[in-house]
Amino acid sequence: MITVNNILKSYNGNTVVNIPQLSTRQGEMVGLVGNNGAGKTTFFRLLLDLVRADKGEIISNDKNVATTEDWKQYTAAYLDEGFLIHYLTPEEYFYFVGSLNNRSRSNVDEFLKNFESFFDGSILRSGKYIRDLSKGNQFKVGIAACLLREPQVLILDEPFANLDPSSQLRLIKMLKEWQGRHPMTVFISSHDINHITDVCSRILLMEKGRIIKDFDTTADTLQELESYFKV
Amino acid sequence: MIITLLSHQWRAFWRSRSAGKNLATQIFIGFVVLYLLACALALGLSLQHFLPRFFPGQDIIRVFCSLILYYFSVDILMRFLLQELPVLSIQPYLGQNIRRRQLVRFLNVRSLFQFFNLLPIFIFIPFIVTVIGSAHGPLVAACFIIAIIAITLFNHFLILYVKRKIIINSWWLVGFLGVVGILIALDYFHVFSFRALSASLFTILLQSPWLCIVFVALGVASLVNNTQFLRKNLYFEEIARRGRQRQSTEYAWLRQWGLTGELVALNIRLIMRNKRTKAVVLMTFVIMLYGFIFYKPVYLKSEHMPMILLGAMFITGIFIMNFGQFLFAWHSGYFDGLMALPVSIREFIRAQWALFIAVTTLTFVVTSFYGLISWKIIPFQIAAFLYNIGINSVVVIYFSTRSYKGIDLTRSATFNYQGTGMSQWLNILVVLLAPILLYCGLAWAFNNWVGLTVLSLLGLISLLLQNWWLNWLTDQFQARKHTILAGFREK
Repeated sequence: MITVNNILKSYNGNTVVNIPQLSTRQGEMVGLVGNNGAGKTTFFRLLLDLVRADKGEIISNDKNVATTEDWKQYTAAYLDEGFLIHYLTPEEYFYFVGSLNNRSRSNVDEFLKNFESFFDGSILRSGKYIRDLSKGNQFKVGIAACLLREPQVLILDEPFANLDPSSQLRLIKMLKEWQGRHPMTVFISSHDINHITDVCSRILLMEKGRIIKDFDTTADTLQELESYFKV
Repeated sequence: MIITLLSHQWRAFWRSRSAGKNLATQIFIGFVVLYLLACALALGLSLQHFLPRFFPGQDIIRVFCSLILYYFSVDILMRFLLQELPVLSIQPYLGQNIRRRQLVRFLNVRSLFQFFNLLPIFIFIPFIVTVIGSAHGPLVAACFIIAIIAITLFNHFLILYVKRKIIINSWWLVGFLGVVGILIALDYFHVFSFRALSASLFTILLQSPWLCIVFVALGVASLVNNTQFLRKNLYFEEIARRGRQRQSTEYAWLRQWGLTGELVALNIRLIMRNKRTKAVVLMTFVIMLYGFIFYKPVYLKSEHMPMILLGAMFITGIFIMNFGQFLFAWHSGYFDGLMALPVSIREFIRAQWALFIAVTTLTFVVTSFYGLISWKIIPFQIAAFLYNIGINSVVVIYFSTRSYKGIDLTRSATFNYQGTGMSQWLNILVVLLAPILLYCGLAWAFNNWVGLTVLSLLGLISLLLQNWWLNWLTDQFQARKHTILAGFREK
């Protein structure tokens, strides 16, 4: 699905991302872990052609993401609040995103019913613009808008960071269910190694822009990661 | 404590993103402020020569007295529209070990740093010192100055109080506007005269200067009132504009144009819901009135009329210039997200252009009433209109692909030059100068009508080439996409 060839990105002489080779299969759940500054977010931005790579290329479905825009049709991402249009109400934002994917208003309304428990009554008809929502609720809007697009590739940066514990568990459950019905390649970064080993079938451990470990999740994975992050 | 807090404000001002990076912009703003103050000072110094000319045969001190209240009623309206509430500045201190009393005092002192508070001093004091001082002596002049400063403070704190009340309960807005409306109506229909009141009030002050303590008492009352209110209501959510119920809006009729329609709807919401973009709309309305300045009989009589053309370019094109110069920057807060959505940039640019054409057509139709001044204005407006939607739209969009500075939409617009860089100034030059030079050249070589026809034709032809332009502009954008994105991300 996605292949990374010799990708290199540096700022002022500091290498931020340096990945010689990486490929993912369709329907794979890939977790990125690593300390701050490991290059996770920059890697995601490269996947979305939001920053220009110094070298190398990223191929999505046989096409280079930097030279074509076809990937936008099936790739959904939420990296930070900068992905939301802050002066719209959540409903307006969903309708806007829906219209880009040829979903009618009523279709979007229907779809959003799946999110009732995730939204917990504090998003739809809340009488607020997105900019007035809390960070956690903004994130919920972001992820629902991603899923609304029924993507084949989903990219989430630190999804667990701003969510309350029950929403974190709901999100994990939702991702797994969704994956069962609707296989997609998922990239998730997180500092929560419990959650990430629970969700992901494959873990990439990043350090200073490099992938220093790439392994399938097994019973030992959590321990292995814990020993890496031990101080 | 207050000194420390104020020094933070000072740093916040100089380190703010809108002021910081661009020295040229800072110097420019500095000049504008100095220029305005110089104008005020010049007005103040020349009052004694102006007044006899406008009110011949009257005692100028009496005339001066009769105008003071007028000034301060306009002042209160201007303040109502433009004065800012310095509220956000206390947010970081609410959780610190600082007494409420000190925070309130800080808010009061902080609010005083306003352009409006300097104006009356510059306008009135020269006249008071020179004319009143020499006619009635220094004591009277001093009391006058005290009275003027006291009224300024009265207005200042009154408006702060009223605006804060409005945030809590919007009926205050209705009340305030009602009172102002009734007063204007009473004065307009001569039921009650502000001038007479002002004249008698201040001539009493001439006789018994110690009465200025009445004004001082009013000023202090206003300050105390505001302080009391703040002390009781020092909760951020109560004094800041928050928690208002927001409604979704539908622009169903736009949907028939598919994606372009959706994007136009997005732009309309952008404009209606953010301070800085609302200011752009306000500006468009204000500039529509500029016809009364530009379309003067003097200019209309001459054979070549570059001033009329300049006016027409401004009036029909102000939205394109003002909104268009930040075409992408308006969306900078979520441009990453927009670029990850399946919105093709060509479609995005097309929607912006459609919006330009719609708004410009509207301004063009509305401002056709200037034809009542002289029919000659109409051909100028037609030429300017066609040139603006055809050529200037392209120029403005092109320049905005070279602008890498983001805009924080939530900040207010007054003296906010955030996002303004070299390319904006160049842009304005090209947009206004090029057509005028072209017109002047043609009008001089042939005649007025050739000039106007060529401008109109250029606009029309360019409009017909829309698809070609869109492809070209898309390429221009793509070539610099990552630079633009990086610039917008750097907040």
